[in-house]
Amino acid sequence: MTDDLEPLRRSRPDRLLPDDPPDPEILVREKARLMSAITGRDGAGEHRRSPSIYPRLAYRDEVAALDFLTRAFGLVERRESRMEHPEGMLAWLEIGDGVVMIGRAGEERHGLHSPLEAGAPTAMVNVYVHDIDAHYRRAASEGAQIVMPLEDMFWGDRRYEALDLEGHRWHFAERVSEIRARPPTR
Amino acid sequence: MEESDSAVIADSLDTPAAFGVIFDRHGSTLLRFLARRVDPAEAEDLLGEVFRIAFERRSTFERDRDSARPWLYGIAANVVAKHHRSEARRLRAMSRVSTDRRLEDDPAERAVAAADASARWTRVMDAIGTLPEAERQVLLLFAWEELSYDEIALALGVPVGTVRSRLSRGRARLAALTRGRDTTTDVPLTPCDAGGER
Repeated sequence: MTDDLEPLRRSRPDRLLPDDPPDPEILVREKARLMSAITGRDGAGEHRRSPSIYPRLAYRDEVAALDFLTRAFGLVERRESRMEHPEGMLAWLEIGDGVVMIGRAGEERHGLHSPLEAGAPTAMVNVYVHDIDAHYRRAASEGAQIVMPLEDMFWGDRRYEALDLEGHRWHFAERVSEIRARPPTR
Repeated sequence: MEESDSAVIADSLDTPAAFGVIFDRHGSTLLRFLARRVDPAEAEDLLGEVFRIAFERRSTFERDRDSARPWLYGIAANVVAKHHRSEARRLRAMSRVSTDRRLEDDPAERAVAAADASARWTRVMDAIGTLPEAERQVLLLFAWEELSYDEIALALGVPVGTVRSRLSRGRARLAALTRGRDTTTDVPLTPCDAGGER
């Protein structure tokens, strides 16, 4: 019935040039401008740029991954950057000044696979956090699989390692010197 | 679970900053819409314009609708219409892309019209640019944005019957323009125009 529109559908610019998605940075910048206009506070230039290097992790279920990573690991989504496609969602998550991008796994999605499919993780994401002990308790209670215990290491970090829902490996640490410099909270 | 758009917009009447949630939910969709329709370099500015207009007009948002998306599409479609030069540049650029690509490795298209495929693709892009504004808007909201008739009606503030008639007229015109010089088929030009405008 709608066959006559097929050439038009397939002429959609992002289908002709599928490697040309909008820059998520634009959304962060425009959100900051909008909020500045709405509140009258000059925060338009305050948005953080993405670091020069950030990884993209692939999941079979990227929506569940987003929920887990924010809940268990305390990553914060740049909500305005989220892109929902029928072929999967893309999201950008921050912690401190770091960013990870997550999307759906698949041959046609940059050939990236979930550790569920690959059988093993092939990389580890290293993250410095504030209050590693609280971070550890939260991750463990939210169901992260702890694969290296929380302990002080000889190079000066207190760290643990955990797997997320699909087996991506995360290394969370805080510098022992910073922990000592902090007044005790308990 | 999440508050509906309409509840968020109602909150934003007293607490303007709440409107940021509307950007969070729909900003990327609208950016993609704009980047398809105008020069991508200008899409960012127009995105800002769309949301500033939406914020200013938030009190006119009809509360009985849950999603703000059709409403935002309507604002964005008007903004695109005001920037028709940029839109024309976008169409010309995409027309060149379709010519360059020739889509010769596309089996579906090859099956349809092997003799004249690339010419037809180019003509589609050229033809869109020559359609009357009202028909182009409806056709592209339908075919590119995949909005339903109801959503298009909400977006453009016209009755659903008008959406249907504009769509069928736009379709017929597009078919005539793209098949005009095509010798492989001779399809009647107005297969779905029987209803006309009511």
